[in-house]
Amino acid sequence: MAHTAHDHGHGEEHHAPPGSGKYWAVFFGLVGLTVVSVTVGSSRALRENSPQVMWAAMMAVSCAKAMLVILFFMHLKWEANWKYVLTIPASIMSIFLLLMLIPDIGLRTRNYSEERWLYAAQPAAHHAEEKKETLHEKGVGGGGDEGKAFEHSS
Amino acid sequence: MTDAALHAHDAHGHGHLKLVYQPSLPINNGKLFLWLFLSTEIMFFAALIGEYIVLRFGAPSGTWPAPHDVHLAEWIGALNTGVLLFSSVTIVMALEAAKNNQTGPAKAWFLATFLLGSVFLGVKAYEYNAKFQHGIYPAKPHSLIHEKADIYYMQAARLRLEGLQRSYADAITAKELKVPGGGPPAPAAATADSATAAAQGAPGAAPAEGQPAAAENAAAKVGAFLEIDDLTEAQGKNDPDVKRYIVVTNLLNHLLKFSEQIAATDPDPIQRRAAMEFVATAIYPLHHGPGGHEQFVNVLASEQTRLLNEKDAIAKQAKEIESQKEEKLKTLDELEKAATQDEAAKTQLKVELNALDNELTSGSLRAEAIDGRIKIHEELEHAKEGLNEEHHWLRLPIKIPSGNMWASTYFLMTGFHAIHVLVGLIAFAVVLPKRLDATRANLIENIGLYWHFVDLVWIFLFPLLYLF
Repeated sequence: MAHTAHDHGHGEEHHAPPGSGKYWAVFFGLVGLTVVSVTVGSSRALRENSPQVMWAAMMAVSCAKAMLVILFFMHLKWEANWKYVLTIPASIMSIFLLLMLIPDIGLRTRNYSEERWLYAAQPAAHHAEEKKETLHEKGVGGGGDEGKAFEHSS
Repeated sequence: MTDAALHAHDAHGHGHLKLVYQPSLPINNGKLFLWLFLSTEIMFFAALIGEYIVLRFGAPSGTWPAPHDVHLAEWIGALNTGVLLFSSVTIVMALEAAKNNQTGPAKAWFLATFLLGSVFLGVKAYEYNAKFQHGIYPAKPHSLIHEKADIYYMQAARLRLEGLQRSYADAITAKELKVPGGGPPAPAAATADSATAAAQGAPGAAPAEGQPAAAENAAAKVGAFLEIDDLTEAQGKNDPDVKRYIVVTNLLNHLLKFSEQIAATDPDPIQRRAAMEFVATAIYPLHHGPGGHEQFVNVLASEQTRLLNEKDAIAKQAKEIESQKEEKLKTLDELEKAATQDEAAKTQLKVELNALDNELTSGSLRAEAIDGRIKIHEELEHAKEGLNEEHHWLRLPIKIPSGNMWASTYFLMTGFHAIHVLVGLIAFAVVLPKRLDATRANLIENIGLYWHFVDLVWIFLFPLLYLF
């Protein structure tokens, strides 16, 4: 066994994972980050004025937390290069998947027919203008009561 | 260098190759398998989470339910996050202890992890139950969620109310059938005509000869609607069925049918829509922000002034009609006295009188409807969290825009996550009875890796579901 370890040179055994003190530090870091995301999420001003910033901040915090867990609790910080082989392709595939869902599912309401809208949720009042524009683009026009309701509410 | 020396030694010294097993990765097979599994799991949960994000932001603009609209409490989610994070530390501590051959502490940390995982699942079960209590299910037939307040919504609400009304009416009549002489005995009724007593609801019909007649009377009422005024007098207000029957009947007549009429006949499409939205808001308000209920109360108040004005107008009109009627009656009288043969004029007058009477009746009916509506307004003002919250048994359809998609994704994601937690708990339960020394460090490490991954998924689910 000593032979193979030596063979592979810079193996994982070179740097031992840290002691329990570090784990607790990481834990408190994670709790602190959770508090940050809760604070950001419950900020009414942020939610109303720039929700995009709020979402981005919360996702950034989540990614930071995920990295802490992966690096320290899952010991990937001290693993050899095989870790990249197993994690990077999976992550790339995940991002591809997300991107591939956007045209058909993320933008699905752009192709909703007038009939489909009958069974869909009513877009909120302050967003109504968007929908009306989309309808006009398609040359359908906001016909019927729905259209009138939009005109009134916006 | 030592390698080269060894090989050289092999080649020249013994003349044959000494084969040494060299794993392609410097980790044991169990860990390799687990990491391969986790890399597929990354893609699995990325698909679920990615789909959620795409569905959420692709929903008709501004419609995705806020966490409070679907009874998600941030603090519960945050608590569960804390529980899982803590369990991640305990499993790492268990691994450290096992590596150092401290079997006692290892077992204690391991047990703590198991318990924390159970707490997580318990909280999850509590949350699921809260969803089900509010009629939020991933699919029909249990789901009460409607995308918008349209005629289908109104129809569903009406069907539900009518069904409830029928079942409570049946329950009340069934009670009468079973115990015809039930209820506190009224001394006067003992000698009274038993048939009349039975017809009134029979709280003390003569026990012996009264029974068949009472039963017959009650049987005749099965399936028929009961008059609320009779009920309150005869049955007393303590019978829960009677209470519920009254609530349901009032809602049906004064909330639903009143709004239905506006939705069906008002020439203004805005008013038609508003009438249906009003019902939806009364049943399940989506305003949980500060001042949300006050807004609804303002709507109620302005509606009330409008209704009261209408009632005044009706009263004024009624007075006018009465005076017109008097005049007409007078002329009719004069005609009668004069004994004219002008039958045509008399008939004309009678027809006009008839029309006036009809107008009066329709006016008083409308005034009655307005009174009922105003009474309902008081109840709505009182029911801050909506009628479904006020009367849990009502389970009326609820309007949550994009709520169906929300429920599908919520239950799918948290459900798969909960299954993973459950699998982790099973693994803990299997390993827990064993001696957790250094020889089992690899096993504990592998279970720990899996458990950390479960934690990792929740780290993304928590903000996405509870805070976005």
